[in-house]
Amino acid sequence: MIISESWLREWVSPDITTQTIADTLTMAGLEVDSVQYLGDSFSGVVVGEIVDIAPHPDADKLKVCQVMGHENSPIQVVCGAPNAREGIKVPFATVGAKLPNDIKIKKAKLRGVQSLGMLCGAVELGFEAVDDGLWELNADAEVGQSLIDYLALNDALIDVDLTPNRSDCLSILGIAHELGALTESNVSKINIEPLAYDIQHSPTVNIEATTACPRYCAQIFSELLQQAETPLWLSERLRRSGLAVRHPVVDITNYVMLELGQPMHAFDADKVTGGITVRFARSGEDIHLLNDQLVKLDERSLIIADESGPIALAGIMGGKSTAVSDDTKRIILESAYFAPEFIAGKARQFGLHTDSSHRFERGVDYNLPEQALARAGRLISEVCGAKVGPICAQTTRALPSPMTVELHFENVERQLGCRISASLCQSILERLQFSVLKRDDKMISLSVPSSRFDITIEADLIEEIARVYGYNNIPSKPLPANLTVPEHQESVKSLLSIKQLLVAKGYSEVITYSFVDPEIQALISPNEHAVDVLNPISNDLSQMRMSLLPGLLTSALHNIKRQQSRVALFESGLTFVVKSGKLLQNPTVAGLLYGARFNESWNLPKDDIDFYDIKAHVESLFSEDVLNFEVFQHPALHPGQSAAIIKGSKMIGVLGALHPSLVKALGLIKVPYVFELDQAQLLNRDLARASVVPKFPEVRRDVAVVIDQSIPVGDLIERLKSSVGSELVNVNVFDIYQGKGVDPERKSVALGLTFQDKTRTLTEEEINTLLNQCIDLLKSSFSADLR
Amino acid sequence: MNKLSEILTSASVSAESAGTLAELEQVKVAYLGKKGQLTQLLKTLGSLSSEERPKVGAEINKAKQSLSTLIEQKKSDLNEQLINEKLASETIDITLPGRARQKGQLHPVTQTLERISTLFTQIGFSVAQGPEIEDDFHNFSALNIPDHHPARAMHDTFYVDKAGWGDKADYVLRTHTSPVQIRVLESSEPPIRVICPGRVYRCDSDVTHTPMFHQVEGLVVDRGINFSHLKGVVDQFLKSFFEADVPVRFRPSYFPFTEPSAEVDIQCTHCKGEGCRICSQTGWLEVMGCGMVHPNVFEQVNINTKDYSGFAFGMGVERLAMLRYGVNDLRLFFENDYKFLRQFNQ
Repeated sequence: MIISESWLREWVSPDITTQTIADTLTMAGLEVDSVQYLGDSFSGVVVGEIVDIAPHPDADKLKVCQVMGHENSPIQVVCGAPNAREGIKVPFATVGAKLPNDIKIKKAKLRGVQSLGMLCGAVELGFEAVDDGLWELNADAEVGQSLIDYLALNDALIDVDLTPNRSDCLSILGIAHELGALTESNVSKINIEPLAYDIQHSPTVNIEATTACPRYCAQIFSELLQQAETPLWLSERLRRSGLAVRHPVVDITNYVMLELGQPMHAFDADKVTGGITVRFARSGEDIHLLNDQLVKLDERSLIIADESGPIALAGIMGGKSTAVSDDTKRIILESAYFAPEFIAGKARQFGLHTDSSHRFERGVDYNLPEQALARAGRLISEVCGAKVGPICAQTTRALPSPMTVELHFENVERQLGCRISASLCQSILERLQFSVLKRDDKMISLSVPSSRFDITIEADLIEEIARVYGYNNIPSKPLPANLTVPEHQESVKSLLSIKQLLVAKGYSEVITYSFVDPEIQALISPNEHAVDVLNPISNDLSQMRMSLLPGLLTSALHNIKRQQSRVALFESGLTFVVKSGKLLQNPTVAGLLYGARFNESWNLPKDDIDFYDIKAHVESLFSEDVLNFEVFQHPALHPGQSAAIIKGSKMIGVLGALHPSLVKALGLIKVPYVFELDQAQLLNRDLARASVVPKFPEVRRDVAVVIDQSIPVGDLIERLKSSVGSELVNVNVFDIYQGKGVDPERKSVALGLTFQDKTRTLTEEEINTLLNQCIDLLKSSFSADLR
Repeated sequence: MNKLSEILTSASVSAESAGTLAELEQVKVAYLGKKGQLTQLLKTLGSLSSEERPKVGAEINKAKQSLSTLIEQKKSDLNEQLINEKLASETIDITLPGRARQKGQLHPVTQTLERISTLFTQIGFSVAQGPEIEDDFHNFSALNIPDHHPARAMHDTFYVDKAGWGDKADYVLRTHTSPVQIRVLESSEPPIRVICPGRVYRCDSDVTHTPMFHQVEGLVVDRGINFSHLKGVVDQFLKSFFEADVPVRFRPSYFPFTEPSAEVDIQCTHCKGEGCRICSQTGWLEVMGCGMVHPNVFEQVNINTKDYSGFAFGMGVERLAMLRYGVNDLRLFFENDYKFLRQFNQ
């Protein structure tokens, strides 16, 4: 909400600077986003008149204008605005003028034609405006007058960013009341006597939706002057508030809305058939709105109707058929109170957001409609020379009565932690227009102003007291300690410790969006059911990730394209999968390795990482020997280089090389290796259990066997460990050989077997027996030949 | 006696000229060994008179001793020389880089989150997590944001498709981590001190907004908790987080789930309050929102407001990370460019 300071000071004028007003509002919860001093924002701009205009010889869209206003002869200015034409008065920035955004006007040649200045639109002068053409000034503007003087720009615009609870401040009057309370200054009263009416005709109003519309006031104005023009002072205030000038009647209703906070609507009375009814729409009804939108109504749409059907979407926007136009001679002016709960969400339902709906859905003072009507009526009568009919004011039983709220003084200290005297509490609330109904030592009972929709309970009053008293006057105290020692499971590792392990292994942590490109996701998790985002930012961010791999691959691609020869990334976070009618949000950790095993260096090999690098990284995240790996088919992974990660009997993740077709689809040269793990399984450990450290020596015997190529070495180790006695304490694979001397269908596996007994030193004979047992087992189970 | 001095002289010369330990050993054997010249000379003592014998004996012994010392000295010199040669031959270029020096780093958002968590857990807060696809009740209604409430427009909400799952409720990508606080309040009894860090989502994407970012929200519920405690905790936290006695101010604001509500500003870390581009010339930077828990929220989770009161606060993690580390573009956090991430390898 943009507030013109000079307008505000008509209502309340504390003896403080503009900046202090802004700071005072900000520190009371009405955050001022910016203060713009109008007189400072430009210089060298005068009222100019286009006295002659000709097409530009070399540019279709440009025109060559002769402009009066500076010195005493016409000055040539090239202009591209579509509305440039002879006879109009416009802001004329002369050579040497300074405009907002550090623009300086210099002599220029545009397509070969000299231009000595610039004709301006409102936007170029730093005003908010809807229209981007030249700013057409009133015909009576004095040519040559400084624009700052003409527009009375010794003013500042204070932009207040209002929170949704403070609908009472959506007007100059509301801000004035707030500023008055904060600075203890007097605020002018709305003191508008309704005009004596000079015609008898009043509209017929029937409120059917009595709960949704507890008050509806309407008044007829006739014999509007067709040539009436919105006076400069009024259009200037609208412009400073960011509203466009349209039609005197519409401008006046907007003006009153800005000043008092009451949205109003004017119907062309000659286009309204019969009386006005406030009711809910019937199914099948629709309305063609002022903005040309055709809206299909339903039984919950509150409308204003005449005998022909809907003529306005109540509190949101009027209909096209009864809109005020230049030909309008008679109007019906509406000023109503619509209950917020019946307006809330309705504008959005139709994709609308208007100044009116913005106010009604937050709450408009239910005692305001008649005063606003009186104010607007006076202006319409002055500006349009209209004749005035009597006000038709209808109210229903649903009209709110003032809310009563009690404040118990002890609760102020209880909630705020500082003593504020009862009399100060009362004074603050009275300044905010609460009226005292009853008071004793302990409490006060107050009547809430009809403009305050945000005050219903005691906590609301305490907040009012706190913000006027000043949050920064409330002391800061340390949190009182009421501490207990928490439960803590030693067997659950922290995610941070896992992340640090990965960091130490060379992985960089990434954070990627939880929504991914469905096309990439379909390649990685083709058989699973994803959750779609209904209103995504873009198509490539429209599906919740079922795996962390799409994000890792995207990040890897980003870096590979930027000449990184080695990429090691990990991420942790939720994945979202639908399984048997349920949404699972699974904490997951995943990693990706790509490219060189080591960053290029003088003393390191230059080979690339492979499956066993990433497998080792996964293994090192767990305690020793808890994991098993099983051959596993994953749609995103190479069928011959992927594994299920098994802990106990549970599959807790996968690892492997990316499937060659995916590698190709992503345009990669080398193969990324990835892992993805269930976070809970990764973090859950067994508590360490100490056992006796054996005192007796270990003995190692090496054996090399030749087995079929297809037999996994893991099977050998498992069989040895499960079948040979506890004396076999370790099996280490120290060589795998294929090639000369070995059948091409077979491979040689060299195993280091370590034997140890916990209770005594093993004899040579015992060791040989154990070794033979191992060899026999390998021979019988795997058709192994001793090498 | 001339003989003795001749032997000693030649022995000394031989010892001095020995180039290796082996040569020196030969000298030692030749003069001091069992058959060495000086040893042999001692054996001639028997042929001397009893007056001469002690005198000559003493002289020979003295010569033996001095030769022995000389040889030991020489041996030590040779040893030292050997070590020096070995050291010289083993000297390497220590300016060459070390082997396989590769470590990664935590994402700056994680580092910031961890820092925030550390500060709060040290004063007795626990850390709670919750779902990111959240139902309408926990994300909005329980937080005093009913349907069609204008405050819903403050949150540009992502809605998700419930095809194949879900119940009657609407589901959204949580717009804040406050729903986790509701879940904590539903499942535990006061006293409660908890922070809820995590990802949140808003349907907004431009230079200063990403559709996903991180928040840490905190909640304290206990007997006797009031606004001054909220101020104390927030003020201490910010000073500690920024490691500076930075001025902090509390500005009234509005959140449906707290009352009184406040926005918290710190003096601009860039211009020290003078006014600059980063603080839009105000001298202040908005860093947190907070307030006393609204009675309607307590009512939703059956906490008796006669006995208990509480406060809540929330902050954007990326915003704090940007201020702390001087990051000037929010989007860098989610591009995951090595050249950016490496800068946090401290």
